[in-house]
Amino acid sequence: MTATTPAGTQPRRGRLRLDGVRKVLGGKEVVSAVDLETEPGEFLTLLGPSGCGKTTTLNMIAGHLTADGGLIEVDGRDITAIPPHRRSMGMVFQSYALFPHMTVADNVAFGLRMRKAGAAERRRRVADVLETVGLDGMAGRHPRQLSGGQQQRAALARALVIQPDLLLLDEPFSNLDAQLRVRLRDEVAALQRRIGTTAILVTHDQEEALAVSDRIAVMAGGVIHQLGRPQEVYLRPATDFVAQFIGEVNALDGVATGGGSCEVAGQRVRATPVGDPPAEGARARVYVRPEVVRVGAGTDTEGEGLRGTVRQTRFLGSRIRCVVATSAGEVTAALPYDARVPREGEEVTCSWRPSDASLAARG
Amino acid sequence: MTRLTRVLGGAFATLVGLFLIAPVAVTVASSLTATPYVTFPPQGITLRWYAEVFAKPEFLSSFALSAGVALAAAAVSAVVGLAGGLAIHRHRFPGRAALEATLSGAFAVPTIVLGIGLLQWFAQMGLASSPVTLLLAHLVLTVPYAVRLVLAGLAGLDRSAEKAAAGLGAPPFLVFWHVTLPAVRGGLVGGAFFAFITSFDDLTVALFVVTTDLQTLPVRIFNYMQYDYDPTVTAIGTLMVLFAVVAVVVIERFVGVARLFGADTEERS
Repeated sequence: MTATTPAGTQPRRGRLRLDGVRKVLGGKEVVSAVDLETEPGEFLTLLGPSGCGKTTTLNMIAGHLTADGGLIEVDGRDITAIPPHRRSMGMVFQSYALFPHMTVADNVAFGLRMRKAGAAERRRRVADVLETVGLDGMAGRHPRQLSGGQQQRAALARALVIQPDLLLLDEPFSNLDAQLRVRLRDEVAALQRRIGTTAILVTHDQEEALAVSDRIAVMAGGVIHQLGRPQEVYLRPATDFVAQFIGEVNALDGVATGGGSCEVAGQRVRATPVGDPPAEGARARVYVRPEVVRVGAGTDTEGEGLRGTVRQTRFLGSRIRCVVATSAGEVTAALPYDARVPREGEEVTCSWRPSDASLAARG
Repeated sequence: MTRLTRVLGGAFATLVGLFLIAPVAVTVASSLTATPYVTFPPQGITLRWYAEVFAKPEFLSSFALSAGVALAAAAVSAVVGLAGGLAIHRHRFPGRAALEATLSGAFAVPTIVLGIGLLQWFAQMGLASSPVTLLLAHLVLTVPYAVRLVLAGLAGLDRSAEKAAAGLGAPPFLVFWHVTLPAVRGGLVGGAFFAFITSFDDLTVALFVVTTDLQTLPVRIFNYMQYDYDPTVTAIGTLMVLFAVVAVVVIERFVGVARLFGADTEERS
């Protein structure tokens, strides 16, 4: 995609706010009291497994579903009850959803026609946006004459040409093959940052969410489990669900000893509390990603860390996987290739930076 | 493909074509005979029998009736087919499954059974024979097809495309006009075309519904042949063939007959 849209010429708009949004479908509450607020120009991702309510939430933002409770606002305007055609949102779908009987140019011009833009303006803006998404020269083709990636670029152009308040992306990369998926998502993220349109992405792919988002809302069972920057959500999960859904995790059960400290199997470990720190003496759980665990030789813990015995080491190419049996259970570490690899059976200490792990109350 | 199979295939196709076209050729040829009876090959050449057709006002009025009812059947089938197809595809309502089953099963009812049933039914309702009863009878034959074809069109439509159109600022009617309707257009035109042909061609059902004053063209020919088997009937048969050819050419010109029946003629790159 080549740059033609001048950066920063758009007013900073596209502040989306959801307040207690609910939706009942078929007698079941699929979205329960979702609160969310974006900054203008932000790239926010709703991440979760199928059935978590993320697509329902997106459809309520778009207006294809009406919220059964709560408030949806864009730039301070209440749009909860406004039909989709009177909201200004460009939506991109997993199935591309191009109009099959129209050429690429007519597809892209559709929103402009609905806005009664003149023919000359339509032609100019269609040409501009097609160049932006890298489809110049394809204007006269029909969707079926395009590859999947090209179709999705056309769909993106169609959504962007109306300069929407929000760009809504409903699993837009899921139908593409792995290589193209990565390339297109990076292009879309770069384009979104350049033109400054607020984007809401729905996906079940955690790597995709981590790669493109300013912030991620991890959803399950119709509620947001955690909302934060990718690093936060990854390194410091707030709940079991978030910890398990995004990659592998070591979950260590213990008792809070105040602040960010926790006693696990008689040893003191430290982590960053998510939300209010658990009260002293309360049951707590520490989440540590394998990537942040350091495996030090010896058992001199200086009062911190978990002592254990190396059970297994495996070379996995990009990482070396090391399983340490501690009194708190097995701790898995993913060591960089240049790390000192401990021998199996060696006495070691597992440690991490407190800012790289989270401490949450345990029910 | 070897040369031999290509030759054999071509020969087979030619034979099938000849078999299909032979009765038409016989009809057309024998309408030109100079004899006062139908014979093939024709003896002598004359257009006298065509003059006979146009000299018999009952044939012309029957043609007008048949064409009028067929046009109405086409229009009503398209509208009802669209509405019915949309209702079945989009909505969950009580009796939906039963309706769909009835529409599918309608194909299996022999037209003669339908004719007898309609005769009873119209009589009991006190409906006198009229172009309207004839139209109603033909709709029983044609609407199920129209609904089927619309459903096939809708099955190929991605609902997300409608959402996309709405999101781009199209109110519901324009979404329907620009996205939904183009998806079912082929099915609609096909359904209407089929309805026209079915109605225009129908003899069996019409036999039970018409009266001596109100006869469709096939019924008129059928009755005429029982008393006078002269080349007038082959002349009018030839005119009907011409009529059909013109209709197909016109449709081919504006829609494309292949597309009517869902053939995918657009090339892929």
